[in-house]
Amino acid sequence: MIRCNSRERPGWKRRAEEFGFRFHSMYGQVYWDESAHYQFTLEQIERDLEEPTAELHQMCLSVVEDVVNDERLLRQFRIPEQHWSLIAGSWRDGDKSLYSRLDLAYDGRGPAKLFENNADTPTSLYETGFWQWLWLEDMVNAGEILRSADQFNSVQEKLVNRFAELQRERPGETLHLACCKGSEEDRGTVQYLEDCANEAGIPTRFVYIEDIGHGEGDVFTDLDDQVITWMFKLYPWEFMLREEYGSLLSASPTQWLEPPWKAVLSNKALLPLLWQKFPGHPNLLPAYFEEGLASSRLSRYVKKPIFAREGANVSIHIDGEQRYSSSGPYGEEGFIYQEYSPLPKFGDNYALIGSWLIDDLPAGISVREDKEIVTQDLSRYVPHVILG
Amino acid sequence: MKRTASINLARMRKAPVPKRLAMAVAMATAAIATAGCSNNEREAKVYLNAEDCTQVNPGMEAECKAAYQSALQEAASSGPKYDQRIDCESDFGPNQCVAYQPEGATHSWFMPAMAGFLLAKALDRNRYQSTALYTSGYYGSPIYGKWSTVDGYSFRRGGRTFTVDDSAFKPKPAVTRTISRGGFGSKVSAKSSFGGSRSRSGWGG
Repeated sequence: MIRCNSRERPGWKRRAEEFGFRFHSMYGQVYWDESAHYQFTLEQIERDLEEPTAELHQMCLSVVEDVVNDERLLRQFRIPEQHWSLIAGSWRDGDKSLYSRLDLAYDGRGPAKLFENNADTPTSLYETGFWQWLWLEDMVNAGEILRSADQFNSVQEKLVNRFAELQRERPGETLHLACCKGSEEDRGTVQYLEDCANEAGIPTRFVYIEDIGHGEGDVFTDLDDQVITWMFKLYPWEFMLREEYGSLLSASPTQWLEPPWKAVLSNKALLPLLWQKFPGHPNLLPAYFEEGLASSRLSRYVKKPIFAREGANVSIHIDGEQRYSSSGPYGEEGFIYQEYSPLPKFGDNYALIGSWLIDDLPAGISVREDKEIVTQDLSRYVPHVILG
Repeated sequence: MKRTASINLARMRKAPVPKRLAMAVAMATAAIATAGCSNNEREAKVYLNAEDCTQVNPGMEAECKAAYQSALQEAASSGPKYDQRIDCESDFGPNQCVAYQPEGATHSWFMPAMAGFLLAKALDRNRYQSTALYTSGYYGSPIYGKWSTVDGYSFRRGGRTFTVDDSAFKPKPAVTRTISRGGFGSKVSAKSSFGGSRSRSGWGG
């Protein structure tokens, strides 16, 4: 795994415009950064990232099985009691999932370490599945990168295949897709999923989360009063469960993507339970709940809120001293503690790997870079290649 | 190869097309679809109710009854709904609307009465498919003198047998009356009012 400088494609911003990639720069900062790329060997990809991703995912699912059957754990996950049956039911019924992203620390040598599981509302999907793929096509065609170069990225192919599978269970049915108002990035992610669903032959409609209605007969409706029977929502379950319409969720017939059991899979309380169930696993970092911290003898740890997004409200503690803390609106539901494992540094840049799964299948990676030790929502997206 | 083998770039392209051109393209596509898709059409017959169907097709009593019931159900779940009878009648004509109260609802509202149903052999030829039809007695209505499915596929009335597009039989989205909106999304506004140094308003991770 090395970081190479590369020449930007001349006119790539026009190309971004052509394909509707409008959030390549956000808040005056570069987000998509093709002045560099990461190069992996095939062995690094397959042995160190792809296989551990599949295994970690199965380990996480086995913890979900434990949690949905244990009231004490559901409480520890801060799942509101009124929704226990919704979540356990969706798990037992095998409600289908679409995708997840595992965040991994990996430097090209040692085993990748799981930081967290973004199983409910992962973004940077379009950049990964399409835009980084197109970057490699363009770079190879321009002679900038060897034609033998590959990329660990079958995200789009697998997404379309997954949608085609899901459609077989719901032939002809319209899939509604939703995200919140005011985020070009989220809207772009949902548009991408809509494109993939259409490619698989699924009719789609879009509605903003805030515009969803409560229709007679305890159903959800879009702005044309059409009943929402099947919906992809880029909106966290932990919010939905606590909002006004949360009380309608059990009665409504809507089938959700991601399904309700993702409230468990995406919860950071998963991390201490993983460590309890698979202690010493090479791809896990020791992690504890508050009550286990004292006896754990962790001297360097990261404190993370149970519910949080994009590196918010995270603090790093070394030998009893707080060395770093990020601000944010989270933390009221409690924290977990994970051994501090610094991100690998390439030049001035800390790099974090997002390892994508479409349903249960590892499907590709994304690399995010930051000058700061904790990558956040605006960390730069840097493409990658496989060579050798 | 560890990457997607090929991507349909045409579908991914989002460059804005001037509106007038977009319309022309859409109309051209529609014209081609109508002209070139004779194999996506089939013969279908209109019946006013189950008895009408049985009279024309003696021995098909069970099929007629089932087709009628399924069309009624479709009309109830996918037809337009109105708060006031007068609003419904101004679209469908006097005495063309009925009160409707779904299970669990606290009060009723109004929807057009099903005026008939369309029956045809399914594509596999082994069973029948039906779909609900409306018409309007109101002269100003776009479906005056026509039959229309609940989602607006329409054709001129006259006779019993028609050649219709397969899409007339596709599943119709259910439509209901919305009681309230805005019950999701309150946490997002609460959380994004927080002013971090680097922050944005999305909820992806």
